[in-house]
Amino acid sequence: MKRAILAEWGKLRTVRSTVLVPAVAVLLGLGVGLLDVASIDWTTTDPAALDPVGESFAGFQFAELAFAALGVLAISSEYGTGLIDTTFLALPRRRTVYAAKLAVLTAFTLAICGLSAFTAFFLGRPFLARHHAAASLGDPGVLRAVVCAAVYMTVVTLLGFAVGALIRHTAGAMAFMFGLVFLAWPVARAVEGVSTLPSKLLLVNAAQALTATRPITGPPAARVPSPGLAALTLAGYTVLFLTAAYWRFRDGRR
Amino acid sequence: MLELREVTKRYGRVIAVDRLSVTIHPGRVTGFLGPNGAGKTTTMRLLLGLERPDTGTALVNGRPYRALARPLHEVGALLDAGAVHPGRTARAHLGWLSSAAGLSRARVDEVLELTGLTSVAGRRVGGFSLGMRQRLGLAAALLADPRILILDEPVNGLDPEGVRWIRDLLRGLAARGRTVLVSSHLISEMALTADHLVVMGRGRLLADTPLSGLGDGSLEDAYLKLTDRAVQYRAGDR
Repeated sequence: MKRAILAEWGKLRTVRSTVLVPAVAVLLGLGVGLLDVASIDWTTTDPAALDPVGESFAGFQFAELAFAALGVLAISSEYGTGLIDTTFLALPRRRTVYAAKLAVLTAFTLAICGLSAFTAFFLGRPFLARHHAAASLGDPGVLRAVVCAAVYMTVVTLLGFAVGALIRHTAGAMAFMFGLVFLAWPVARAVEGVSTLPSKLLLVNAAQALTATRPITGPPAARVPSPGLAALTLAGYTVLFLTAAYWRFRDGRR
Repeated sequence: MLELREVTKRYGRVIAVDRLSVTIHPGRVTGFLGPNGAGKTTTMRLLLGLERPDTGTALVNGRPYRALARPLHEVGALLDAGAVHPGRTARAHLGWLSSAAGLSRARVDEVLELTGLTSVAGRRVGGFSLGMRQRLGLAAALLADPRILILDEPVNGLDPEGVRWIRDLLRGLAARGRTVLVSSHLISEMALTADHLVVMGRGRLLADTPLSGLGDGSLEDAYLKLTDRAVQYRAGDR
């Protein structure tokens, strides 16, 4: 297992795309978040109602797609090039390879996302502090929101990995991830007249529930799940996709 | 030693390998011949655990490939020279493989030197010619100095110097008791490299014979006669 982890880490860090993609994701996440916080119209915004953490994380909507791409690329490129055969020649036990890939990708993503979530939070603070809207990590729910933002991005990366392993084709897997993250939303909204449950089970709404530090009010409140349900939803997605992907991974190349 | 016992592999309605039983012995270069679609590559993939046989067993030193604890130390394989990530450098490609095999980075430099790739080790593989990729594939196969080599058309794209080098290398390894299975469509090259021939056609074994066992005429004539009824893809009409 140790050799498999070293091998997978060696692969991940020696291809430009898997280094550049998270770099772009972090820049987008921090940059857009900063723009968002800096451009708040304080004449119409009530500092007490504003979610200071949510504003700083505005850029993560863009970053999550880049992290999905990282997850997809971590596996689809092996099928695209045929490298997966070389991998299985070196490490014939499929379960070991799969576990090593997951371990390396999770650790890599969690480290980057954790660092950028805390950075985004602290970058936004000076702007918010000027209007007495800043939060500190000790405030209720704030630390949880920052940690959950990092965990959420990691979950999206792992889902990208699973979809990449299932579809084995970079463009196809990316299209699927775009649909799962962004396009499932209007579909779930279309059936809200009947039930808000589909909306509550969406990735983006689970993220919203876990990263909010102010009570959510107005129409969105009906479609945002409780933090407990949100955590369960993320865990459910992760287990379901990774299990299906393993079933196909084990099956070999053809 | 490589062993196939009554191995059958189907893809849908196509039988790629049909009740194949053959043993590849150490100490000689075994040439693996057969028309396009005969099942040579599938046979190699079965031996390497990349495909599961529908029936029968494929064994490496008496065990299935997937059960080998240190596979790269037992078998070195080159199946498809393109099976590398184009964005990775030659050294990085061999680097992760050496991690997987538990080898030192010094060994990476040795095989780079052995295959003549030292000067391009830091370049991304995407820019390599076919011949250079073949050399990289051979470097990967030789990385852990295995007892067995399985090479699918290794001389494709190699320059004459490279062809001569690999011939001498394979003959030298066989002389030292290693098992060498090498496929090729270049009959004249096989005549120079192989001691023993295994010929397949339409998934079946057509011949398992010493090189001298195919008659006194040219090897090409003997091969064409042997495989005449097994050719599936033939150019033009006749």
